[in-house]
Amino acid sequence: MRHFDTNDEHAFQRLDDAQLEVVRVEMIADGDERLELVIRVLVLRAVPAIERVCRKRGGDRGLSGAQIQKAIDDAAVRMLLRLKRPDRQSTVTAIAAELATACVDAQEPQPAATPRLASRRPELRVAEELGHAIKRGRIHRNDWRGS
Amino acid sequence: MNAGDEAFDRAFWQAVGDMQAGAARPIESYLHLVPRHEHDELARMLADVLLARGPAPTPSAEESAAYARAVAVIDQVLITSGPAGILPEALKTMRGARGIEPDQITEQLAVDFQITSPAGRKALERNYHRLETGQLLGAKLASRLLESLARIFEIDVRDLLAGAKPTGTAPRPSAAPGLGRSSGASTSRRQAEHAPELLPDPEVELVERLFHGGPDA
Repeated sequence: MRHFDTNDEHAFQRLDDAQLEVVRVEMIADGDERLELVIRVLVLRAVPAIERVCRKRGGDRGLSGAQIQKAIDDAAVRMLLRLKRPDRQSTVTAIAAELATACVDAQEPQPAATPRLASRRPELRVAEELGHAIKRGRIHRNDWRGS
Repeated sequence: MNAGDEAFDRAFWQAVGDMQAGAARPIESYLHLVPRHEHDELARMLADVLLARGPAPTPSAEESAAYARAVAVIDQVLITSGPAGILPEALKTMRGARGIEPDQITEQLAVDFQITSPAGRKALERNYHRLETGQLLGAKLASRLLESLARIFEIDVRDLLAGAKPTGTAPRPSAAPGLGRSSGASTSRRQAEHAPELLPDPEVELVERLFHGGPDA
């Protein structure tokens, strides 16, 4: 991506999604080099929606955190490709939801981890024997008088 | 618009942009961008924007990290845009995200185009690697190759076609590696004279056509 005047970027950020979509289509038709700047603004607006869908659906499908992140990356890149198309597209949120769903579904849920065995209860035989001995009067608590 | 107004406008929109990007700096740093007599006005305007925005949502650390990573992925794809548009890095990222190895791609392409010879498969591997590393021209990729890739990546072929187009002015195609065929009669004569030892493996030729022969190849 070439670097443009930050004023361009700020100007694009001021536009709403519908206005940006018009600009996007015009830029593709004109071969405008600032197209990628517009696409970036649109995709960044879509990332929160992509993330929400991936987390919700990925969580429901039992995907790991790493898989959910991969689905987010996958959907974000597919969104870039979609927005390079010269035809009019639906709203970024709608595309984001569609792509995020497909990307989550493409991830295979990992098999459930085998349950970890609870650690064995420690055998405190010496402590138990001492307890019994105290109860039976075989030994007495140390009152430290004799020491 | 005079220079003063322009500076004021720029400072204001820079602050708004930074706020939207979640990277707002202290207000004073924006005030320094305009003449002293305009400090009050800019401060008032920025205060209005802050009031209108309300308290900023506080995403969890996990969400912020995921967002930051997605932004990095997007920028990586855009920054590497070249003669095959954003397709090379996009393919690499999608492949990584879906856990597909390059061998699996070339294996499937070999099946789709009935490439069975070792030389043909090597040519597929070589050219696919060139595609992913941005060494090929998007305009020279065959439509049927993109259709095959679209099936492998489970994506609309129109998205791949669009992604393969360079942004802005299309670069002049340089000599394509591989066959380097031209339509000149002299070349055909030369080839005919040296046949058959210069004739490539037909499967290699098919692979070269797929990656360098243009949409209709």
